[in-house]
Amino acid sequence: MLNKTLLRPISWLAFISIAAPAGAAAACEGIDSQPDKQRVFSEAWGTRYNGQRFQSAENTSINAETAPGLTLKWAYGLSTDSPRSYPLVTSDTLFIGDGGRGLVALDRETGCVRWENNQVKDISTAIVPATIDGQPALVFSQRYSGVYAASAATGKILWHSHITRNPVPMYSGTPLVFSNKVFVPISSQEIALSFNPFYGCCTTSGAMAALDIQTGELLWYRPTIKQEPRVTGRHFLFVEKQGPSGAPVWGAPMLDTERGLLVFGTGQNYSHPATQTSDAIFAVHIETGEIAWVSQFTANDAYNMACEISPAHPNCPAGLGPDLDFGAPPIKVSLASGKDLYLAGQKSGDIYAIEPETGETVWATKIGAGGKLGGIHWGMAASESLGLLFVPISDVRSENDDPGRNPGLHALRLNDGTIKWSLQRQNQCTEPTCWTGLSSAISAGPGIVVTGGLDGVLEVVGADDGKRLWSFNTNREFTAVNNIPTKGGGIDAHGPMLADNLLIVSSGYGSFFQEGGNALLVFSIAEGVSP
Amino acid sequence: MNREFEPAGLRRRLAATAIDFVAVPTLALLIMLVTGVLEHADDFVGNQVVIKVVLLGISSYLILNGWLLFKRGQTLGKLMAGIRIVSNTTGGPAPLFRALLPRALFFPLLYLIVLPGPCLIPMLDLAFIFGKSRRTLHDRICQTSVVRV
Repeated sequence: MLNKTLLRPISWLAFISIAAPAGAAAACEGIDSQPDKQRVFSEAWGTRYNGQRFQSAENTSINAETAPGLTLKWAYGLSTDSPRSYPLVTSDTLFIGDGGRGLVALDRETGCVRWENNQVKDISTAIVPATIDGQPALVFSQRYSGVYAASAATGKILWHSHITRNPVPMYSGTPLVFSNKVFVPISSQEIALSFNPFYGCCTTSGAMAALDIQTGELLWYRPTIKQEPRVTGRHFLFVEKQGPSGAPVWGAPMLDTERGLLVFGTGQNYSHPATQTSDAIFAVHIETGEIAWVSQFTANDAYNMACEISPAHPNCPAGLGPDLDFGAPPIKVSLASGKDLYLAGQKSGDIYAIEPETGETVWATKIGAGGKLGGIHWGMAASESLGLLFVPISDVRSENDDPGRNPGLHALRLNDGTIKWSLQRQNQCTEPTCWTGLSSAISAGPGIVVTGGLDGVLEVVGADDGKRLWSFNTNREFTAVNNIPTKGGGIDAHGPMLADNLLIVSSGYGSFFQEGGNALLVFSIAEGVSP
Repeated sequence: MNREFEPAGLRRRLAATAIDFVAVPTLALLIMLVTGVLEHADDFVGNQVVIKVVLLGISSYLILNGWLLFKRGQTLGKLMAGIRIVSNTTGGPAPLFRALLPRALFFPLLYLIVLPGPCLIPMLDLAFIFGKSRRTLHDRICQTSVVRV
């Protein structure tokens, strides 16, 4: 029999358990739980393989005329305050990684849950479409456990693959599925393990891996550093410093289908000696993984998270580097002249136009002061018809009196990199976690650019002139369709998405002291595109 | 329990826990330095890292407190806070293998307090201290009480 002595602590714990957000799923009633997969509104993280994050009029009815009519259709409370998944939208379903709940298929109209799979929690990438055994499938990564393929009809896991070539891989970049392969960006947990002063930093290299789409088996593996690590010194008498290391791939790749090249950026080295492949753009052949060319844009950049504690931390590289990754995936564009260019944006705020055949720089432009969180952080967008590249600048933590500081959205001419217009962002909040810049990736559509700010403000801007057409502050509380406490915050990471008549964004991102939140917001205009 | 001993107050127990909370990982870091465990990326493969960290925690706890527990029924923190562990049935010294060593298994769980979900485990342990006898869950399992010296 329970006496008062036992009841008191049990009731106290029960109170805490109930007060904590439980996240009851709102299952669909009267709706077919089998999603319709006939119409898929994106094929990769960059919307199309070319990475432009441009949604054409065939795939979105949101444009300069209709955008002012956007209204909030529904909000869904995610089970994380730092959403890192980017949805896949079909004609009736929105697939997304829902933090600690796992993979969910939400009804596009109401936000109710068609199915959910709790096996893989904390999905860290976008959900991308695939076909496995002739059936529609979903491919995504979990930050530490690897790459997964799941049935789009039921959510059942079809295969799981974990890269063993790197003992401590980190899967931050969204995989790209093409033909019979899945291309998987590989970063490394050593960036954080370096915190531990007794850890001998560092031995692992970033990489790109290719897996068989049917089975998940490894087809090829391309490390970004070819030298084997060696002991370079010691601290505390025993702990071995090692290098080279780093050059992680934490952004999604871009695919040039015409040339058969997979193009991706790398980050900094974690330890010395620095290599010629850090802060670089790689182009590799998709069939073999052989390197076509590598172009480095910042040399001798060695940095890891130990440096955030102190430059005197024994694992912080001497001659501390500026940490100027290429996290934003490269973009392929075709100019009006017929010439192709690859465009790469760096955390430094530099934008490079690159010759696809050789990797040589055609033009370069710098916007903003740059920094560890950008500069250009997660992703740019382009419109070939307007001949413009849209560049979001974060400039978080740049000194306010830095004359180069330029947070906002900037449109560059594709042919020469000159700036056509700039839309600077103004302070809209005072909290220390609230910043003005644009860190998240942006999206473009017919005559529009969609941005999400670290202050939580979602905006639709005219692509040709940079005028604000529509704005919505997501940094507030929402009533969610799944009835859990739901609050927006800063918009970061994958940013907004255009699909059919919907504008979708996850608001809240508390990973690096930004404003956390858990709101998945779906805005709409009345009419969609023709099926 | 021998009624001539008063249960240790909450403040003293928390102070003792706080001291051990800092002292044990400090020793664990020194062990890491000497042994090289968790020094290389390969050490972090699979779940081995969890097993290694737990074993490291238990080892550090026993190296730091084993002799004190055996001789005086105290950890370093309890020694400094002026409290000690006694058998709940006799009020005398708690038996080593049934009462004192199992506490070493509980100690690494204390660090779950920093994780949003698993923090409920040490909180559950702690919650029992609000009972009349001021005994945590691990006190009850080990059939011990913590009393003022």
